[in-house]
Amino acid sequence: MTRLVEVPTSFDDRSFDQFAAAYAQATDGERLLFDAHAAEWASPYGLVGLLAAGEAAARKGERPLLTAPANPDVVSYWARAGFFREAGDLFEVHGKVPKSKVATESEVLLPVTPVRAAEDVHAVVSTIQQRASAILSSELGLDPKATMGFAMALSESCQNIVEHAGTGGWVAVQAYNWRRKLARRVVVIAVADAGVGFRHSLESTQAKRFGERWGDAAALEAALVQGVSRFRDPGRGQGLAGIRRYLARWEGKVAIRSGTARIAIVPRWDDDVPLKDGLPEFPGSQVLLIIPEQESEKGSSKQ
Amino acid sequence: MIPQIMVHAILQKSVAGFYTDLVTRPTGRAVRENIERDLPPGTIAVMDFTGVGCLDYSCADEIVAKLVRDKVKVLLLRGLTDAHREAIEPVLAGAGLAVLCERADGILEGLGASEPAPALLDELVELRLAARNPGGTIRLTAA
Repeated sequence: MTRLVEVPTSFDDRSFDQFAAAYAQATDGERLLFDAHAAEWASPYGLVGLLAAGEAAARKGERPLLTAPANPDVVSYWARAGFFREAGDLFEVHGKVPKSKVATESEVLLPVTPVRAAEDVHAVVSTIQQRASAILSSELGLDPKATMGFAMALSESCQNIVEHAGTGGWVAVQAYNWRRKLARRVVVIAVADAGVGFRHSLESTQAKRFGERWGDAAALEAALVQGVSRFRDPGRGQGLAGIRRYLARWEGKVAIRSGTARIAIVPRWDDDVPLKDGLPEFPGSQVLLIIPEQESEKGSSKQ
Repeated sequence: MIPQIMVHAILQKSVAGFYTDLVTRPTGRAVRENIERDLPPGTIAVMDFTGVGCLDYSCADEIVAKLVRDKVKVLLLRGLTDAHREAIEPVLAGAGLAVLCERADGILEGLGASEPAPALLDELVELRLAARNPGGTIRLTAA
């Protein structure tokens, strides 16, 4: 039997729970059909999240199916963002997929890129420094020195996969105009994997401490707010703390979804909820970092 | 003579591929192990970061914090960019550790937790590896 999992028309972190709910209904052995034919837009978070779903589905049963977006502009954009380069290995893809090259345009700072080992993180950091520096300083108004901090944040986000997921994952970085909240340009880092998730990763060292409260939400809180790590090494847990510091400095946002919970450090320009529990179960971890264009001293955003 | 650790050169030796960035735990571990091989315990060492691109928190901990915690008596860093300092400072401060840092003008200052830094400076002065200037600042006399 094949189960349909609809990809939201506008697929981003906000519609992800709707997607996760459809995914969570699948039972072992069912073949999944991810239907993106009506998709009109997908954020980097949506694209890497869809790949994570594909990997998890393939692990549970038959190789999943994917219907590509019918809109030629959308499917072309997904191709240029590097999505189909990765999707081909995970899904049986149906629909017209253009053979467009992965983008070198300025919006796609880093196309969808697999992260499996430390070498991949090196490659990602090296690429982003070459491509992001101009965007971060000229378009977002960040101090040119902030580029290095951006690379650090990206490195630490990707390392969560290498160190904790127990499987590979994907990262994508894009710059775009974010009309929904800010009417400003933003740079978005999205990292997703279908690995063991935060709760499982931290269980052996933290579950006892939290007692009955232990779960996905407590694990996320422990990792992001308290900076704990599954390793007993005293220097561990630096990565997420460093990401928080960097984002606090540039008024950025971090949100992490894992299992049935989602935690966010919410800047003043956003109205997201700091902690949500009881969400539809979704494997692994999905990380979202948003760095907005800086407001000029006059109080308006840089044009 | 104070041992000089050229971090960029050790990075090239430690990992396959030409990288200028010190990122990821495995890279940090490989670099530190290479450094430790030639470094007697309890020593005073200079670590030169010239040519190193991005340094992330994991590598700052894996290399700098662990050397300070387990291996060296005084670690003096030079060739640091502001971004390197931003990675190293909170990692050391969080662990209650400090290193000395040589500014571009040659003046030494503490980096990391504020408490241990003055003792590190005093140690170098006592060993005549550094000297106090009339203005109270401290510079290396050797290395």
